Amino acid sequence: MSLLQLHNVCKSFGPTQIIRDVSLNIEQGEKHAIIGPNGAGKSTLFHLISGRYKVSAGEILFKGAPIHNLEPFEITRRGLARSFQVTNIFPLLSVFENVRCALLWSMGYQYSFWHLLSRQTALNDRAEALLEEIGLFERRNIPAGELAYAEQRALELGITIASGAEMILLDEPVAGMSHSEAKNAVALIRKVTEGRTLVMVEHDMNIVFDVADRITVLVYGEVIASDVPEKIRGNPRVQEAYLGETPHA
Amino acid sequence: MGRLAIWIVFAVVLLVLPQIFDSVLSLSIFTQMTIAIVFALSYNMLLGQGGMLSFGHAVYFGLGGFLAVHAMMMIEFETISFSITLIPLVGGVFGLLAALFIGSFSTHKAGTVFAMISLGIGELVAASSLILVSFFGGEAGVSGDRTYGPPFFGIDFAQDDHVYYLAAAWMFFAVLCMYLFTQTPAGRMANAVRDNPERAEFIGYSARRVRFISFAMAGFFAGIAGGIFAVNYEILTEENLNAATSGRVLLMAYIGGLGFFIGPIVGAVVLTLINSLLSNYTDLWMLYLGILFVLTVMFLPRGLTGLLMMHRVAWQLGRMRLLLLPYTLTAIPGAVFVLGMIAMIEMSHAEEAEFVYLGLALSPDGYGSWALLFGVTAAAFFFLRRTLPRLREAWSEANTLPRLPRQEDGHP
Repeated sequence: MSLLQLHNVCKSFGPTQIIRDVSLNIEQGEKHAIIGPNGAGKSTLFHLISGRYKVSAGEILFKGAPIHNLEPFEITRRGLARSFQVTNIFPLLSVFENVRCALLWSMGYQYSFWHLLSRQTALNDRAEALLEEIGLFERRNIPAGELAYAEQRALELGITIASGAEMILLDEPVAGMSHSEAKNAVALIRKVTEGRTLVMVEHDMNIVFDVADRITVLVYGEVIASDVPEKIRGNPRVQEAYLGETPHA
Repeated sequence: MGRLAIWIVFAVVLLVLPQIFDSVLSLSIFTQMTIAIVFALSYNMLLGQGGMLSFGHAVYFGLGGFLAVHAMMMIEFETISFSITLIPLVGGVFGLLAALFIGSFSTHKAGTVFAMISLGIGELVAASSLILVSFFGGEAGVSGDRTYGPPFFGIDFAQDDHVYYLAAAWMFFAVLCMYLFTQTPAGRMANAVRDNPERAEFIGYSARRVRFISFAMAGFFAGIAGGIFAVNYEILTEENLNAATSGRVLLMAYIGGLGFFIGPIVGAVVLTLINSLLSNYTDLWMLYLGILFVLTVMFLPRGLTGLLMMHRVAWQLGRMRLLLLPYTLTAIPGAVFVLGMIAMIEMSHAEEAEFVYLGLALSPDGYGSWALLFGVTAAAFFFLRRTLPRLREAWSEANTLPRLPRQEDGHP
């Protein structure tokens, strides 16, 4: 059984249909990229999966159970975490606190007001290990809002993976980065999503063809192709959607 | 261990203060401060820690206080029997119950929605308090007597200093609990939800539930403050739960500094002093308080505590000396300017033909006095304009060091 299943998912805002009848299966352990021209509905699709938007029709199953009527925090608790296209961190909290907060739920603290954070050795060790992993250990005490852009993106990724989710959705994780920053970011993404299922929206075709095992092409809210990279590259409909240009890999 | 030392010093100060300042007035001011500190800190659990702007926090203070007075009356009439020392807890429990009920629908959203609901609930409760006479006592309020009930180690709380120590003990307990709350998962997530409620949902937390917990806690501690108030004054009226009281606690937290745990404590101390001392000298103290608030909002968004904390870098670099002279040079015309402005405000308000100000006999009806004050104030303003740039220069010199390691923000 696929880890994530979308069955005939539709989303309309008023009369405008953004997502049209999308069906998609994502397997355990897969690295899946969703590509498509601007306005194709890629981010909307992420918002539907992660519970930020409610579907207009159709259903979404995660580990076989429907999640399309759940709140974002319930979906997160089931092991599906996401990052955002626009950096979405806790700007006044320190970098360390950002990561520690992201760990809290998965480590079972819930809404506790009877644990002192400073005494939770396992929690604090894990937060520090995670900071090492995303390369922000040195910056742990400064407010997250003061980090440089690429560092904020790394923190965003750290917050997303902290819960140990089985499935990670990354929305344009390297958008706005310089070439070398993007290269580092991709290496980091590879490292931290190892052994997990990854779905990402990305514009940079080099990265997409480099990272993904399977690619889904979304155009005007419809899936026009979903296949392994080689087949996507040769697909005439995909080439047409990209204005006759072959995605240069 | 540094933290523990601070708490010990705090406790010692609370014990020693009434020995040093032992007049009836100072004792009364200290007790007022304990109440204000608990109330202002509980308010900051909403605004500073949780990002919820409330215009109706007096509701929990007042309801807790009213219930505490009723409990005192029940002790007096021997319906129930327990020590008067537990009265603040009665206030706290009732503040908590009220907050659990109101928070169940008001914490759905932060921002304007929350602010408007808090304003509405505040007005609703204040208006009902004048209508439901049997519980709230109408205009006259309800009053009790704290000297009944089983004595506490022989103390019957007839004396003001006994009341102070009881209030200080409860205050210490409440401040400690509120501080510890900021160090727990629920307290830290309150900060996270304040910063970014959407992201909080995507790390597994319901922003609404996080706000609700903070709100309930804030209600509990506001109720404790109301309970201490009830023990101290033995009377509660509509004034204690209306919008003016809600506004005052906002001023305390804001002027003290929302971003620091001790900010509201500073604000509560300063405002209590203004309230009880300045009001002896002038009818216009509320005006000055308003001006202080506006100036804080405009120039010190991090409050008085933020102003102190700004000096941390210069202090650590050992460069406070650089600031001493520019500060003094600015303070002299600054003080003259402020005093001149106050003189003109007071004189325009004076009703007698002669107005004595700082030993000067001024005449509100004569042009001479006005011209003198105006001249002095204008001259002070002129000098201030010249000294301020030098202060700014000295400030940047005192605070810059090549490749200074980034300072940690004082935020909770």
